[in-house]
Amino acid sequence: MRMSIPRLVVPDSNATPATRVRYLPVVGLLLLAACGTATEGGVRTLHGVALPHPIPRPSFVLRDTRGERYDFRARTAGQLTLFFFGYTHCPDVCPVHLANIEAGLERLPYTDRQRIRVVFVTTDPARDTPTVIRQWLDAFDPAFIGLSGTEAEVDTLQTRLGLGAAIRSPATAGGSYTVGHATQVFAFEADDSARVVYPFGTRQADWVHDLPLLLHRPLSR
Amino acid sequence: MQWWCSAQGTRWTWEWRPYPGVWLLMLLIAVTYYRLTHGASAAHRHQTAAGWCGIVCLWLALDWPLGALAAGYLASAHAVQFLLIAMIAAPLLLVGIRPSAPRTIPTAGMGAALLGVATHPVMAAVFFNVVTITTHVTGVVDTLMVSQWGAFAIDALWLLSALCFWWPTIVPVPVRPRFHTLWQILYLFLGTLFHTAIAMVMLITDLPLYRVYELAPPMTGLSSLEDLHIAGGIMELAGAGIMLGIITWRFFRWANRLERDDRRTLSLPAR
Repeated sequence: MRMSIPRLVVPDSNATPATRVRYLPVVGLLLLAACGTATEGGVRTLHGVALPHPIPRPSFVLRDTRGERYDFRARTAGQLTLFFFGYTHCPDVCPVHLANIEAGLERLPYTDRQRIRVVFVTTDPARDTPTVIRQWLDAFDPAFIGLSGTEAEVDTLQTRLGLGAAIRSPATAGGSYTVGHATQVFAFEADDSARVVYPFGTRQADWVHDLPLLLHRPLSR
Repeated sequence: MQWWCSAQGTRWTWEWRPYPGVWLLMLLIAVTYYRLTHGASAAHRHQTAAGWCGIVCLWLALDWPLGALAAGYLASAHAVQFLLIAMIAAPLLLVGIRPSAPRTIPTAGMGAALLGVATHPVMAAVFFNVVTITTHVTGVVDTLMVSQWGAFAIDALWLLSALCFWWPTIVPVPVRPRFHTLWQILYLFLGTLFHTAIAMVMLITDLPLYRVYELAPPMTGLSSLEDLHIAGGIMELAGAGIMLGIITWRFFRWANRLERDDRRTLSLPAR
């Protein structure tokens, strides 16, 4: 379901007046066929949800799936980074998010795909050991980065990003529990700011549409 | 408690769930079918049994687990459900009422007039294909499947349109003397072309079509796109298989009848 919050507008820098006239019939046909691609006066809008103000790329250090320190800001600086919180026992949001992101990445050229980082931080460090996270992420893409920390570290990080801390439900008789967590994916762009987030409900078609735009659009610093 | 299967967005479990609306509908259909077929001769017991098989197929299609899976988890289950309702249950039900139709189906009055219009081959084919196409449009599926009334509407339309579609080729009332077997075969073939086209779209798409299945809690190792491709394959292969099987059977039955008539006319011994 599309959010009704104002979309982020991306200028179409490749179109010149001469180009527009020459390719008008083709563009017309494509516009008739295109569904979900909002184009107004040559400007394409992202399908993500615009943030009221940019959020700077956070600086924090957690452990990756090899157990080594991972300085998030240093390791992802200047790169388009899709960042979100979740846990491997999540029944719905997390696997769907990752599967759809992976489907969007698959459609990018190899060189573009190499320029994007997907970083997942677990909100369930009790069950999500580095090995568990690695096995779970590998089912989607071995290049996805998984980070873990203490509950306090992760809760603090969520709060810094304007999210509520994860809420762990009481354990059932079998010992299982769920973790309520924020579901949006932050897109930190090359200028180390996030201007758009992707809530649960973001579809593969949305990622296919937005990832190239996020990667190539000019940013004002 | 839900009364009809619809998409809930919750994690799938194999724990049985009751859907009383399905049971009520099946009871209504079973009682109606019994009243229509009660008194049929022993010679038609196979056809009556076929009708009861159709009722069982319909129940399997609508109730847990298939109904629930089709409503909110798997496009492939949705395709199986469509085939069970439209291609198997509906014609079997009509086969069951066929022997008693001249006795129980009204041939005069408003009911007969409405039946005549609804089961006219052109009207029935249009109705069936419009329903098939409309109920597979992405916006319609995503809007209706998330509510019980919406999911019920889709299932009911499938059954109703399929009954209308199959009626002129199975039930002898209303009488249509010009709609002989070869026309019926052509009607069946052409009447399912749109369904085949929908299946092709599902097979070749490179992005999931339906939000309700794309965002459903995963329950198999399949991606939503793989599941959709399987749905298209089921509709294409199984649907075509069922239809071609019926067409083939109808053609050879007609050819055998022609040969018997020829032999009788020419006073030739029977084979």
